[in-house]
This record gives sequence, C-alpha cells and structure tokens, in this order.
Amino acid sequence: MNNKNPKSHFNTKQQTPRWVKMFGIIALVLALLFVVLHLTGRGLGGHASGCHGVQQQ
Amino acid sequence: MTMTPRLRKFALTAHITSSVGWIGADAGFLALAIAGLTSQDAEMVRAAYLAMGLIAWFVIVPLSLAALLTGLVQSLGTKWGLFRHYWILVKFLIAIFATIVLLIHTQPISYMANAAAETTLSSADFREQRIQLVAAAGAGLLVLLVAVTLAVYKPRGMTPYGWRKQNEEGSVAQP
Repeated sequence: MNNKNPKSHFNTKQQTPRWVKMFGIIALVLALLFVVLHLTGRGLGGHASGCHGVQQQ
Repeated sequence: MTMTPRLRKFALTAHITSSVGWIGADAGFLALAIAGLTSQDAEMVRAAYLAMGLIAWFVIVPLSLAALLTGLVQSLGTKWGLFRHYWILVKFLIAIFATIVLLIHTQPISYMANAAAETTLSSADFREQRIQLVAAAGAGLLVLLVAVTLAVYKPRGMTPYGWRKQNEEGSVAQP
C-alpha cells in the first residue's frame, strides 16, 4: 500500500473518476441480478433447499 | 496517527501475507469444490468436502479477518487514510463484502462437510449446494483479484473528504 507517495495523487481534479463510476454501475447491476435471481427462485439457491432445518452434527 | 517505519513495514508484511494467503486458500477451495461437484469417485468427493470444511474454518476465515484488520491498520496508521482515496475505499468495501459473504457461506460448507462425513454422496446429492460452493469460491476469487489489482495499480481519484483534508493540511502548512 505504501510503495507510492500519497501526495502523487493530489493533482487529480475534484470529480468522481470514471473508473469509480464504472465500478459502481457494475456493482449495482450485479447486486440487482443477485436479488432478482433469489426472488425468482432461479438463484444457485443452496441456502433454501437443504441447509435450513437440518441439524448439523 | 502515523506508524513508525518499522511498525509500518511489519503491518504491511502482515497485510500482504494475509491477503495473498486468502487468495491462495480460496483458489485451493475452488479446486476442491470443482472436484466435489464433478468427480465420479465417491472417496474423492468425500475427501474434497471434508477438506473444504477444514480449509474454510481454519484457513480462509482467519485469513479474511486478518486481511481486513491489517488493511484497516495499514490505512489508518499511514497518511493514505481509509476514506481519502477511492481505490482504498473500494478495496475496503470489497474486503467487507467478501468477508460477510464468506461468513454466510460457512453454513453450506459445514453442511456439506458433515454430510460427507456421515454418508457416501452420489453425484446427484445436494447438487444445488455443490454448485453454489463452486460459484461462491469462483466469485470470491474474482473479487479478491480485483482488490489486488486496485492495490497494485492504485488508480487516481480522491474522495471529497480526501480533498477537504488535503486543503486543511495545506492551509496549516502555509501560515
């Protein structure tokens, strides 16, 4: 983490960088996909179909 | 609070070791999960899920918590800060997200390990859980590789908080 001087980043303009916006959009899409898959029951769904209600030894 | 150079090196070593160890352990876990899902050999399947239970509890969970903790120490104990640069903030959020997802998935991991210990699993048994473990391990590996990439490339961009702190420190430095 400390291989670079933090001050070398200080020249950047004060606006949200494009990579952060892209990262946020991708994270939002993945989160929505995850929620939709779980709500429609098409998720990988191991939680609901075997783990619950079974006593672990 | 800024750490001394010696302490900073120690914290950095601990952070790199735990983070890279987490990735390696997750890769091993993924290999076992794929073997457990695809192998036709009952003994191989049994061994894979038993090993996955051990690796999850005694390697992956401790390493994930250590990576999160040492990352916090590393950011808060140096001038980088935790909320000043977008790449550090994103990396922190990734570590929290990955740790929470991992802790949630310890339940199906333990379930499969217990099932493997008690019975001989056929290829059709617990298929959804087995697919879920492969998907979770694969997604986890991908997310951790993104975090490593952020740490190496350190993409530019300061948060509004970072700008404010920089200006405050600049005005203090210039009387």
